[in-house]
Amino acid sequence: MKVLIIGFGFIGRDLARVFEEKLALIKQIDKDFRVIGVSNSRGYVYDKGGLDLWKLLKVGELSEYRKGYRSGGSSAELIEKSAADLVVEATPTNIKDGEPGLSFMRIALSRSIHVVTPNKGPLVVAFKELTALAEKNECELLYEGTVAGAVPLFSLVRECLRGDRLLRISGILNGTTNYILSKMYFEETSFELALKEAQERGITERDSSYDVDGIDAACKVVILANAIMKREARLEDVERTGIRGVTQEAVSLAKKSNYAIKLIGTIERELEVAPKLVPTNHPLCVHGTLNAVHLETDLAKEVTLVGYGAGKETVSAILNDVLTVLRKRRKA
Amino acid sequence: MKFDLTLALADRPGQLVRALEPIAKNGGNIVSIIHEREKPAEGYVPVSLVVDFPSKQNLRRTVNDLRSLGVSIIKSEEIVETTRVTLILIGKMDLKKLVETRIEDARIVGFEVSTPTSNEACVKLELEAPTESVNKALEELKRLSKEENALLISSI
Repeated sequence: MKVLIIGFGFIGRDLARVFEEKLALIKQIDKDFRVIGVSNSRGYVYDKGGLDLWKLLKVGELSEYRKGYRSGGSSAELIEKSAADLVVEATPTNIKDGEPGLSFMRIALSRSIHVVTPNKGPLVVAFKELTALAEKNECELLYEGTVAGAVPLFSLVRECLRGDRLLRISGILNGTTNYILSKMYFEETSFELALKEAQERGITERDSSYDVDGIDAACKVVILANAIMKREARLEDVERTGIRGVTQEAVSLAKKSNYAIKLIGTIERELEVAPKLVPTNHPLCVHGTLNAVHLETDLAKEVTLVGYGAGKETVSAILNDVLTVLRKRRKA
Repeated sequence: MKFDLTLALADRPGQLVRALEPIAKNGGNIVSIIHEREKPAEGYVPVSLVVDFPSKQNLRRTVNDLRSLGVSIIKSEEIVETTRVTLILIGKMDLKKLVETRIEDARIVGFEVSTPTSNEACVKLELEAPTESVNKALEELKRLSKEENALLISSI
C-alpha cells in the first residue's frame, strides 16, 4: 500500500518515526507498505519507490531532503498525481471551515483513496458529506485520533459494541481543562494560575479559549454525536459553558462533599459541554491531562475508557487506523 | 403507586389475616409488612405495610372496608420517591432570593456558603425533589441562575 502523509508538523513527524519503528509489524500485514509522499504548506517530497523516513526525520525542512522535492507543490497536487492508496491527513485543525484538510479529504475520498485523520475540523464541519463520500467510493475514512487521542473509542464501538444501542455518552474530552481543574483541586491554586502553568507547560492551544471555553470539547461532542449516535449535529447545537467562571472556592466546596469539578461533554437528547460535579468515586473522575469517556448502552450498560487525549499518544490511534485499513484491504 | 398503610390491630389471633383480606380484594400488592410487636399499646399492635395499589381510588376503598371491619388506620399516605441532587452556584447573586424561590416541588435540604475571597459568592445546595420532577426542578434552577448571571454546576 502506498501512503501519503499530508501535514508534516508534530503529528506527521511522529507518525513517520512510528512507521519506521513498527515497520516489521506493518510489513506482516502488507509487505508492499511504503510512504511515497510527504507534504506541508511549502511543498512536498514524492518518490513512488518509497521515501527514506529516517532521512526525512533528520531534516528540518522538506526541501533539505532534496530527492523528489517540489517547492510550492500543493498537497492537493500530490494526492492527485501520486496514485496513493491511503492518505494520512494531519494538517492543523480549523473548525471554522475545516480547511485545508477538508479539501484534501474530498480529493482523496472522491478518488477512492482511504483517509486516516486526527484532524477534527473537517469532521466537525462536514461529517455527513465525508462519510457519504467514503461510502460512495468504497473506501475507508477513519478518525480515531480526533476524540480522546489514543483512547480506542470508535474502534471499540465499531468492533465490540456492534449490537448495543448507545443511550448516552459523557466524558472528559479535553486534557488541558482537566489539568487546570486538577491543579485547582489538589494544589488549591486559582484558575488564572493553573491556566498560566498549563500554558508554560505547552499543553494549551495557542488560543487558550479553544480549551477553557469548551470549544475543543464541543467539537468532540459533535463528532461523537454524529459518528456514534448517528445524529446530524453541528457545533452550534452544543450548549457550551467553559471553566473560566469556576472559582477556587467552588472547587474546595465540591471537594469537601466528595466531588471534583470537571468539564464534561454530554451527548444524550441534548448536546452539552459544561463544568459538572463528578463524585470522586465515579469512573469519570480522572485527573491530570487524562481523558475519560463513559458509554451507557442498552446491553453492556456502562463502559468507561480512560487514557491520554492529546499530544504524542495520538499517534497510537493513527497507526491503528492505518493497520485497520491494511487488514481490511488484505481481507478484501 | 406505593402507599404507606399503618394499621392498629387488636393483639388477638387472626386479626392480621382479617385486615389483609380487603387489601387483596381491592387489588393491593403487599410490598412489605412489619408487625411491630415491640410497640403494643393498650392491647393494640401497629402493623406497617407498604402496598402497591393501581390507583388512589383502590386505597380509599380499602381504607373504607378496613374501617367498616373496625380496624383503626394510623397512617395511609402515598410514598413519593425522591432524589437528592448536589449543585454549586457561583456568581454575584442574591442568596436570599434564591433560597426563598420555590423551585417546582423541590426542597432545599442542605446549604453551604464558602468564605468569599472575591466578590463572587459560592453556594452549595442540596435539593430534594420527587424523582419524576427532578429534571424539571433542575431546568428551573438553570433558568434562575441564568437570570442571576450565575454559573450553575450540577452533578453528572
